Amino acid sequence: MPFPNVRLSNRPLHFIYLCDCSGSMAAQGKMQALNQAIRQSLPGMAEVARENPEARVLVRAVRFADQAAWHLAEPTPVQQLQWRDLEAGGITAMGDALNLVADALQSPPMEERALPPVLVLISDGQPTDDFDAGLANLMRRPWAQKAVRLAIAMGHDADLEVLQQFIGPEPSGRGKSPRRPLQASNATTLAQYIQWASTAVVGAASMPASRVAAADAGTAANSPANIPLPDLPPTLLDPSDDVGPLVW
Amino acid sequence: MNWLLPEGASLPFEGLEQPLLIERGLGGGSQGQVFAVQLGGERLALKWYFPACIARDPQLRERLQQSIRLGAPNRDFLWPLALLDPAPGSLGRFPAAAVGFGYLMGLRPEAFVGAHRHAGGDLAISLQCVLKACFHLAEAFHQLHLKGLCYKDVSLGNLFLEPSSGGILICDNDNVDVDGQSSGSVLGTPGFMAPEVLLGQAKPSARSDLFSLAVLLFRLLTRHDPFRGQRELEIRCLDEPARRRLYGEEALFIFDPSDPRNRPDAIEHSAALITWPIYPASLQRLFEQSFGPGLRQSEQRTLTGQWKQAISLCLDQRQLCSHCGQETFPAAGAPSTCWSCGTPLPAPLRLEMPHGLVSAAAGNELQPHHFDPLVGESIREPLARLVAHPSDPTLLGLQNLSTSRWSGRTTTGQSIELDPGKTCNLAALQQLNSSAGAILVQRP
Repeated sequence: MPFPNVRLSNRPLHFIYLCDCSGSMAAQGKMQALNQAIRQSLPGMAEVARENPEARVLVRAVRFADQAAWHLAEPTPVQQLQWRDLEAGGITAMGDALNLVADALQSPPMEERALPPVLVLISDGQPTDDFDAGLANLMRRPWAQKAVRLAIAMGHDADLEVLQQFIGPEPSGRGKSPRRPLQASNATTLAQYIQWASTAVVGAASMPASRVAAADAGTAANSPANIPLPDLPPTLLDPSDDVGPLVW
Repeated sequence: MNWLLPEGASLPFEGLEQPLLIERGLGGGSQGQVFAVQLGGERLALKWYFPACIARDPQLRERLQQSIRLGAPNRDFLWPLALLDPAPGSLGRFPAAAVGFGYLMGLRPEAFVGAHRHAGGDLAISLQCVLKACFHLAEAFHQLHLKGLCYKDVSLGNLFLEPSSGGILICDNDNVDVDGQSSGSVLGTPGFMAPEVLLGQAKPSARSDLFSLAVLLFRLLTRHDPFRGQRELEIRCLDEPARRRLYGEEALFIFDPSDPRNRPDAIEHSAALITWPIYPASLQRLFEQSFGPGLRQSEQRTLTGQWKQAISLCLDQRQLCSHCGQETFPAAGAPSTCWSCGTPLPAPLRLEMPHGLVSAAAGNELQPHHFDPLVGESIREPLARLVAHPSDPTLLGLQNLSTSRWSGRTTTGQSIELDPGKTCNLAALQQLNSSAGAILVQRP
């Protein structure tokens, strides 16, 4: 006779992409690269979701250009997700996008009990609307304060300062950190970061992983953040990466 | 996935006479990636570390070498077999991001699936096989601890199950260390960590392993978490601070016999309410011990030997409900009902050995420890198994799994002989003299 048909109760994990679709994203195939990176990351994300009995991973996406709109409005189980291509054109209403997400993180429609949401902001430029008001509105929601907020800068024109404000206080020390904007200057690095956010980070937010003692930099158990973030993937050395002094 | 080592490449490693063929990547975690590899026709697995992982765990190499020297506690561990460094002068053939080292281990057969799938309700497995897996787990940690080692990171993520047999494989053995030598940086996995480790008051040890083992056994047996009851419902966002309270500062066992404040919720935690009553009180008591007094006093935790004993007794008591066919585990001598359909369970026919009493139900097994108390509980090599007749399932027989011929006598006094592999009908059997000792049929 089989084991009784029961399972560990689970909680929803809301994963929301905020994608810059401004006109500049049309240049150098950036929009296509982002569509591809997200599409390619879905099988891995579904696998992580399957391995985490404690979480129901639900994906949504906001696009922002002249204004912000839900690209994928319905929280969709990652296993059922079919990524529709984003199209570029317009300016960069990033603040408006934050307002949309702020509305979605109110309870209701947010469930009363959940895992920390994961918000991934991807941009290649400067906000053209009132970013500060949008961010302030977002951060008034308790679920946004609890959320894991990541940002990916595409190319070298992205406004790293606003992305850092979205993430939160800049960590001390130098070098790459998940609590700094991740700089993707080519399609491969972008795909690695998207894959990392949609698998390693989703895993960390939904099912606790092995912890290591505080001797290691940044990710440790004593981290002040409410979710310890996994190591970034080793990426190809990017000329724009801050590698520290070359000669001393 | 971006693989650290190129799939399809043959790479030279120090100490290997021939290059290692990197067949394909199997998976990646926070420490590194695992590859299927071939060495001179033999298929093995290679774990290759991220440079960042090597950098933050300076004792990793030494620990692996120590484990390789000591050897696996038993065959349920996917133990490190050899440490691999790139061959001298061959670094140019390794991708820059892959500079480091790794280790070879056995390749996990495909029939073994991640234990998280069981917890997620996504695995067809019998109660008997879950109990067998639990027995193997207790046995594996028994052997590991007897070697003076501790594992440090017991969790669902490091365990694989073979649903058809209850066999297990324990992987990620690279944190294993001599108990008390707190080298290495791993603390464990929240939800499985002992409270004193979670709260930063102690380093992982064999004592904290015992707590994590109890959590893992509970999660396998109930498909629920021992601390998620009413107190979890009060938590809106289940993040790190919340987990510290739930599993550390305010941890309270959901079935604590004297404190009912954290009982499971009828809807949210129904799994626990359905599965906990399946198990006999003798087994439940061990959880109450580990998650009650053992929560704060590590010397109060149930020992691996106690788990082995209680789980093997539970397997001996297995009985199939005559009404619904479900597996039940009633204690001998006490009236009880089926946990699934509520039908009263009649006292079963039992087999009595010098040191064991096994209920007659298809699938139950007679083990060496039922005959000889000195061998210690083991379920790996049963001497006999209860089997149903292939064409008439109402006929129950006992199959001789040993290599020698047994003799016996029927209720009418007739002598019978039972060759290896043969099965005798229990309905007519009075006694069997096996190679290990006497088997008496006890009728209710």
